[in-house]
Amino acid sequence: MKLLAPLLALVVALAAAIWLDDTPPRADLVYVNVSEVFTLDPQRMTWMQDLRMAYCLYEGLARWNNDDFTVEAAGADWTISDDRRTYTFTLRPDARWSNGDPVTAHDFVYAWRRAILPDTAAQYSSLFMLIDGAETFFRWRTRALADFAREAEGLDTTQRRDRARALWDETDAMFAATVGLHATGDHTLRVTLARPTPYFLDLVAFGVFCPVHRPTVEGWVVDEATTARFRESGWADVGPPPWPDRRFVSLDPDTGRFRQRHVWTKPGRLVGNGPYVLTDWRYKRGLYIERNPLYHTPDLVRSETVACVSIEDVNTAVLAFESGRIDWLTDVSVEYQGDLLAQRNAYEARYASEIAAGLSAGRTLDETLAGLPAPTRGQRRNIHVLPTFGTDFYSFNCRPKLGDGRTNPFADAAVRRAFVQSVDKALIVRNVTRLDEPVATSLVPPGSIPGYTPPAGLAYDAAGARQQLAAAGWSDRDGDGLVEDANGELFPVVDLLYSTNGTRYRNISLALRDMWQRELGVRVELRGKESKFFREDLRQGNFMIGRGGWYGDYGDPTTFLDLCRTGDGNNVRGFSNQRVDALLNRAADEPDPRARFEVLAECERLLVTEEVPMLVLCQYVQLYMYEPGRLTGLSRHPRLTQYLWKMKADR
Amino acid sequence: MTGLIVRRLLLLPFILMVIYTVTFCLAWLIPGNPLESGEGRRPPPEIVDAMLAQYKLDSPWTFYWDYLGKASGVAWVLGSAEKPFDFGPSLTHKDWTVNEILAAGLPVSMTLGLMAILLACGIGLTAGVIGGVRPGSFVDLATLVVALIGVSLPSFVIGASLLIVFGVWLKVLPVGGWGGVSHAILPAVTLALPFAAYIARLTRFGMIDEMNADYIRTARAKGVAEWRVVIKHALKNAALPVLSFLGPAAAMAMTGSFVVEKIFAVPGIGTHFVNAVLGKDLTLIMGVVLAYSTILIVFNLVVDVAYRWVDPRI
Repeated sequence: MKLLAPLLALVVALAAAIWLDDTPPRADLVYVNVSEVFTLDPQRMTWMQDLRMAYCLYEGLARWNNDDFTVEAAGADWTISDDRRTYTFTLRPDARWSNGDPVTAHDFVYAWRRAILPDTAAQYSSLFMLIDGAETFFRWRTRALADFAREAEGLDTTQRRDRARALWDETDAMFAATVGLHATGDHTLRVTLARPTPYFLDLVAFGVFCPVHRPTVEGWVVDEATTARFRESGWADVGPPPWPDRRFVSLDPDTGRFRQRHVWTKPGRLVGNGPYVLTDWRYKRGLYIERNPLYHTPDLVRSETVACVSIEDVNTAVLAFESGRIDWLTDVSVEYQGDLLAQRNAYEARYASEIAAGLSAGRTLDETLAGLPAPTRGQRRNIHVLPTFGTDFYSFNCRPKLGDGRTNPFADAAVRRAFVQSVDKALIVRNVTRLDEPVATSLVPPGSIPGYTPPAGLAYDAAGARQQLAAAGWSDRDGDGLVEDANGELFPVVDLLYSTNGTRYRNISLALRDMWQRELGVRVELRGKESKFFREDLRQGNFMIGRGGWYGDYGDPTTFLDLCRTGDGNNVRGFSNQRVDALLNRAADEPDPRARFEVLAECERLLVTEEVPMLVLCQYVQLYMYEPGRLTGLSRHPRLTQYLWKMKADR
Repeated sequence: MTGLIVRRLLLLPFILMVIYTVTFCLAWLIPGNPLESGEGRRPPPEIVDAMLAQYKLDSPWTFYWDYLGKASGVAWVLGSAEKPFDFGPSLTHKDWTVNEILAAGLPVSMTLGLMAILLACGIGLTAGVIGGVRPGSFVDLATLVVALIGVSLPSFVIGASLLIVFGVWLKVLPVGGWGGVSHAILPAVTLALPFAAYIARLTRFGMIDEMNADYIRTARAKGVAEWRVVIKHALKNAALPVLSFLGPAAAMAMTGSFVVEKIFAVPGIGTHFVNAVLGKDLTLIMGVVLAYSTILIVFNLVVDVAYRWVDPRI
């Protein structure tokens, strides 16, 4: 009985721990992210779920009109010079940060400079290199830091600190002198670009171009009089306090780097200028935002409070949706998604005529579905398939030699064409992935970029594929069902590399193997690898055909076509073609948007009908779960940028 | 006893040092770069270099010593770090430090683990006593069968079934999340069941042995009430094997709840064991491993001390 006292104490402690740890009340809109929100610092964002938050907590210079994806003004008006190189933005004078400070052009200069600085190591900094001088500045600072580290070795700490500050002042001056980014007034921002960029407004609407509040990011410690001046005219007039009073940033005396402690993105600290403010963010539990009372256009916001709940396990996420506590599930990548879709198809088939009537009467699909009787057993209307701004493909290794030194048969475009034409993509999306994705032959998803029509690529043609392969010198000469070259050498066993996270790529790879063995008479060996190892093999060119896929970043065909540029960092295929490079360069210098699209279309035609560095399978789709009619405000455009403030849940 | 405690505590830094070194070597060998996110998307090489430099990941040697200094508190003692036991920023969860992640997750995992163990003791001991008092009876057989199922069914089956029944069909308990008793019930039960089953079997066999012992017959002959015989005399001895099982079981419940935490979306630390490794989040791997090693070592020590206290013969 000695144990009784400690046991009781334990039970009481446990009960207290659980009681005290309570959840906030249910928000007006609750949605589930399968992945955690990684950062609320717009310049360092890369993930879709993070960017979705950026559009709530911050407001950039422009935003997209979700339905047809044109850019509209959010907080600004703009003028574009005739050569399409100078953009002058005029900011709203009434825009405020959530602490009451005015939003000025200096905030944008500060945020964009953060993204350009190599010290921040922003993954999307390459998007900012379109600004005139940004690349020069980036390289200058990178080199200066390398020099600093070399010279710092012989110095003591005080000397290093002084030098780091001197270098920082020099960096300030260098930025102002070289980079075409200037606040010409408190509410006027002038941006000069390196070359005509018709899609610059589309970029500006992207989350990483959102402004940040410098005193917050740097943790300025200032007295009340200064705070009042910030409130009056912004921080730029006063300027930063001395280094020790900037709590979250410092200059590293060893490397000279501008070091940032990313602690300002937590609730209570984060200051934003968007329609919502952050109320709570608890690691792996959820993120809660509510209407920003200082936002300039209150009518925009449809849900007072929004909760973003993290449920890592997709199966649990689906069950949580089924339990009715969640309005929107953003990812349904469960193993049985094909079965869920079959239930949806059963429902649509049951009410096919009613749906057709509703659509022809001008109602949306969701509105029509909401007016129909509830689904019975084995039917379902709350799962939705939305095409995305992404393309699923397999990459051909285009280098003349393979990783192990053997000659690469896929260096020959005719062989690649044969492998593309022998694939029945419709069969794959119907029976293998079971998601009925739109079959694709071009790299850029059709209908995703206003004004651009991607060319049609190679169609399924097994007989034509065999002819292509024969023309490349590979045919079945001895009648054993396998193709060989003129010397009787068999076609090398095709090394098909895929990643083993999830079953999608294993299943597709199996189907591809069967099609190629049957239609072309080649032997194919599958090699599944865990994603880190898979990526490493891809990078080193240790594959013949490898699983690929790409999501576009911005509304221009180059976001896909640049993958095929010689030496591009994401060109894992080792593809290099002078005509493609020349066309891409020509497009980059073309100021007229329509002529530019024509050049890019020609470039893509070359890529998908002649050179085919990749086997394009289909457009990626995203699965959502929500009750049609109850959740409104979702965008169905392939870019799938969902502004949470446009959404509303009726329960 | 004091000698034992002092000896163990003195050994602690050396054990941790070995664990740190081995973990570091293994973690460094994971291919890829922790700072690249997304499938296949690759930032420009200059940015990758800048990121590696920012987190001191450009050389394993400097990272090893730098991290060791900060995590152990040596750097703080020497005055080059702001605070001791600093596990650094997480490489994948960019806005969080490893310390914050541990502080958020550890209490949750430990609460859940302890709840599960208490539940397991309650269920297991009761079932074991009921079965052990009348071996071969219907009740005994029933508890044995249930125990067998409890031991052999994997927790993802039990967990998912409980979620579907209580969360989706009956809608009495929430699906996923943490906060308040209602969220804790299902994961605690799921986590407790295998332990409860094992404890039930241990208790049952102990009880069968003890009930036939001479001192029980003496007690009955003295006219002691039957429930007193069972609880005060027999169970006290029959439960000793349970006590020795509780040490590792409690440790397992608090560390090994990866599956349960994932199924019930419990914001504990268990999922990091796997996710940090998959993402090659070096600082998080080290932080989680070091924190857990410390807890395990201390916990084992506590169990050993408790043993001697409960049963001075050992």
